[in-house]
Amino acid sequence: MNIQKVGVIGAGVMGASIAAHITNAGIPVYLLDIVPESASNRNGVAENAVKKLLEAEPAAFMDKKNVRLITTGNIEDDLPKLADADWVIEAIIENPQIKQSLYQKLEAVCKADCLISSNTSTLPLALLVKDMPDSFKRRFMITHFFNPPRYMRLLELVSSAATDLTFVKAVSQFADIKLGKNCVTCKDTPGFIGNRIGIYWLLYGLLDAIKNGITIEQADAVISAPFGIPKTGIFGLLDLVGLDLIPPILKGMKLALPSQDAFHEVNRLPDIVQKMINEGYTGRKGKGGFYRLNKVDGVRIKESINLVTGDYATSEKADLSAIKDAQKAGLQVLLSHPEPVAQYAWRVLSNTLCYSASLVPEISDDITEIDAAMRDGYNWKFGPFELLDKIGVSWFVDKLKSENRPIPTLLATNSSLYSTDSGRLAFADLSGNYHPVQRAEGVLLLSDIKQQTKPLLKNGSASLWDIGDSVACLEFHSKMNTLDMDSMAMINQSIDKVSREFKALVIHNDAENFSAGANLGLLMKAIHESDWPTVELLIKTGQQTYQRLKYAPFPVVAAPSGLALGGGCEILFHCNAVQAHAELYMGLVEVGVGLIPGWGGCKEYLRRCLMQPKRPGGPIPPIIKAFQTIGLASVSKSAFDAKELLYLSTNDSITMNKDRLLADAKTKALALSKDYAPPKPYLYPIPGKTAKVLLNMGIKAFHLIGKATDYDVIVSGQLAHVLSGGESDFTAPLSEDNILALELEAFLALVKRPGTLARLDHMLKTGKPLRN
Amino acid sequence: MNNVVIAGYCRSPFTPALKGALARVRPDDLAAQVIKGLVSKAGVNPDDIEDLILGCAFPEGEQGLNVARLIVFLAGLPNTIAGMTLNRFCGSSMQAIHIAAGAIQMNAGEVFICAGLESMSRIPMGGYNNMPNPALYETFPQAYIGMGDTAENLAAKYQIDRKTQEAFALESQMKAYAAQQSGRFDDEIIPITSKYGTVDKDGCLRPDSTAEGLASLSPAFQTTGTVTAGTSSPLTDGAAAVLVCSEDYADAHKLPKLARILSFAVSGCAPEIMGIGPVAATNKALSRAGLKLEDIDIVELNEAFSAQSLAVLKELPIPADKLNLDGGAIALGHPLGTTGARITGKAASLLQRENKRYALATQCIGGGQGIATILEAI
Repeated sequence: MNIQKVGVIGAGVMGASIAAHITNAGIPVYLLDIVPESASNRNGVAENAVKKLLEAEPAAFMDKKNVRLITTGNIEDDLPKLADADWVIEAIIENPQIKQSLYQKLEAVCKADCLISSNTSTLPLALLVKDMPDSFKRRFMITHFFNPPRYMRLLELVSSAATDLTFVKAVSQFADIKLGKNCVTCKDTPGFIGNRIGIYWLLYGLLDAIKNGITIEQADAVISAPFGIPKTGIFGLLDLVGLDLIPPILKGMKLALPSQDAFHEVNRLPDIVQKMINEGYTGRKGKGGFYRLNKVDGVRIKESINLVTGDYATSEKADLSAIKDAQKAGLQVLLSHPEPVAQYAWRVLSNTLCYSASLVPEISDDITEIDAAMRDGYNWKFGPFELLDKIGVSWFVDKLKSENRPIPTLLATNSSLYSTDSGRLAFADLSGNYHPVQRAEGVLLLSDIKQQTKPLLKNGSASLWDIGDSVACLEFHSKMNTLDMDSMAMINQSIDKVSREFKALVIHNDAENFSAGANLGLLMKAIHESDWPTVELLIKTGQQTYQRLKYAPFPVVAAPSGLALGGGCEILFHCNAVQAHAELYMGLVEVGVGLIPGWGGCKEYLRRCLMQPKRPGGPIPPIIKAFQTIGLASVSKSAFDAKELLYLSTNDSITMNKDRLLADAKTKALALSKDYAPPKPYLYPIPGKTAKVLLNMGIKAFHLIGKATDYDVIVSGQLAHVLSGGESDFTAPLSEDNILALELEAFLALVKRPGTLARLDHMLKTGKPLRN
Repeated sequence: MNNVVIAGYCRSPFTPALKGALARVRPDDLAAQVIKGLVSKAGVNPDDIEDLILGCAFPEGEQGLNVARLIVFLAGLPNTIAGMTLNRFCGSSMQAIHIAAGAIQMNAGEVFICAGLESMSRIPMGGYNNMPNPALYETFPQAYIGMGDTAENLAAKYQIDRKTQEAFALESQMKAYAAQQSGRFDDEIIPITSKYGTVDKDGCLRPDSTAEGLASLSPAFQTTGTVTAGTSSPLTDGAAAVLVCSEDYADAHKLPKLARILSFAVSGCAPEIMGIGPVAATNKALSRAGLKLEDIDIVELNEAFSAQSLAVLKELPIPADKLNLDGGAIALGHPLGTTGARITGKAASLLQRENKRYALATQCIGGGQGIATILEAI
């Protein structure tokens, strides 16, 4: 079964966003919704949903052109169109009768081998298929996406004994490879895995904070970064989800869960939340929620609610210095700290983790599935059982015992939940036996390799690994994977080693971000000391190292995901090919810190602009294109967008599922290694000073209208100098070395200026660019 | 000496660049339809036409390769008609009329099509490969000054405040809207047909403009400036064409004689105040025609900017009831190379409609120039 066309019924936020994400896989979608009473446009609901999709933030489409793949319609006129769909996803109101009525109509129009699934988050599959014919049951399952579907990797799959496994396999493969999802198989239990634990956690955190006088800032400060939980914590996440969604979930859970389930202990809607819902404070989509942005004298001020009085006041950052100190000493110290907020953290975490443990095997037999659900559905860095290991199971159990609390069966053996003793990652079952964690075919994780082998080379910033089949993998592992002299040394050592012993090199790491660019701290130190020879050495070393990489006698394939900025973007430019994760945010952002790309970024990006086959003729358009892209510090919104920006070439490939990225890159590298020859150096036919004058005229106009600051003019002037080719003439093309020399000259001119220092300082202190 | 007359005028609808209905139409196709329309409307025998002289401010890309000659083919005209593309920026198609008039007086042809085209959607202002001379920029940067900045310079020099500029722009909008509503553009517009449909109406007009709305716009060129998008002519797509022939030819072939060309002139001025160009050009043309400004009944003064037009009016006190009767470029749009043919053709047709004797068409030109034509009703 091959899924080539999909139908989505229900153009609400979820349905429409699912449709958008399916187009991200290049698959056409029908998006249908009801015909509102007395509507002049019968497709109005779906059409409006598509309009909203185009403006959605974060973006629903990886490339806005994908919108053309959506065909809108209505369920009264257009259901017959679904006859050629291979998969129809129902994402309508959570009412079993209405859903079943739709299923009956779908059963009549859909072809026999069309999978029909529901995106329900609360209704059991058994209820949805009750009294439906066997022909329907065999093709029906639940496919539960998390919001926003483009970004949340979790897809919960629930099937019944009656479901034909061909459908389950087809949808799993499609969701994995084409949609980039981590498919987690769930049992048909209320809230499946993610929401069963996630909602419990949120409610516990909410009710306990109210009961014990913890402010929402304190709660969110502690139930977040220290545990690898997103900074939205409890209350920020509730605002994001929408408070109005809580009551129906509570109602559904109350009816569906067995009476002894611990969920009932938190199944209460506090008065303050009911009041907020009544008054329209439903969260970010409403007038505000626990937090709100209030405009006072034209200035937007973040305010937070007092959980006792219900009044808003300016949000104060929680002072958790004691907690921070404790955190440095480890999670055990934090969780046993006497501060009330630490005690709050212990209660929330311990109850949530115990509840999760108590749900094995009810919601899943396999703790890896539960961990995956919380990682990919709630963006936790560690699932509940990984977190337990991080805290220390033995310590955790002892603390429960000291409080006379029951010990969940899973924790009764008092041993860690994961083990690498056998050289492979293994997980524990209820009896304390370990089973190897299985990876799907085509999934290769550097973290697994790192558990099984030792690095070939290693220093403080990077390592080289053998990933098999005569391919090596260079991993950056400094903070935010910033690049420094150690990184450069490791690249050079890797080139030497791979030249001798391997067929190809892949550059990859499994961190959230590929690389945030050069280590600005080192640069700042040299600038503060007016140590210009060191700055020059830093730039020259980067240039020479990247050039070596480009012309190495073996293919180099980068496999980036997340941010690839500045120097992290420049290294991608010097690879022979890129196998990019679809969620790639790459760009040359140096102007934001008062610099220009100095490690060959100008050189390589200008080449791409000059070589673009569809560009307008003449010497000027490619220079303007490069100037605009670098001058505006443009960052791609996806790997597809990176292709539009010419950051990626047409030969570069995109992998939707991050877990498959390394394997895909390795395959690409091996394919390139056959009869490999390094690229030929490029000559730049660029016009020199006339282009610089033209670009400076443009900067001047922007400055006059206030779109460019005083210092933008200085930085852009240097960028114009590099991109125009200095004093060159287009009849005498420049070499790559000539452009690198111009980069170095411009970089050294800028680092000596106070404006650049001010930008660097501001970026390091605030993480935001200074507009000086 | 041969008298020279204007025996026909028409234009495409003018629509906003990039977002207007003609943005996806190639400029050569656009001009070809207008020229074909002119030939058919004027009833001239195509075999008698000497040349197609076509003005364009950025003759490259789809407007390149001597596009005038290509338009002869596109319009299905006999290939005995020559084709010439010329560039005097915004004065290009008025210059085309001047060249034709000179040729006719020299007995170097009897009938000419003088046209202008500009797709500001498809060929950006400045062109694709603007390559300024670095030495000139260093010593005389105003040679490359942006047009908006020249308008700001005039506003400062002539102390024209923002409110006055906005009142002028609003008046232009109201006059153009009234003309459109009463069908006064219908005769001059040739509907343009493409695979995207037929366009038969101007698209730049902003009849919903108000003084309050204009006052709320941000400055368009300088943060502390007074010139806004509302007081500037919009980037526009459009083509226009005028049939120019000897008076004898018009008589012999019973062509309509809209006006006789009495005189014309070009002049130069400081580039940083290029908008004042019409003053010197007009004075020269008046002098050559033996007329005074007071003798002129109808004036078509191109409205590149409100500030620019108002500065010209301070030097050339033209009564409001003679000026741009159907609105100007601020409302209708200013497809650079096209405008000269539009305002000259328009001035000629207004002499007929208003039953007046003398008309002046004049405009400023980037780089610091002015151009003017004086017409007389027959």
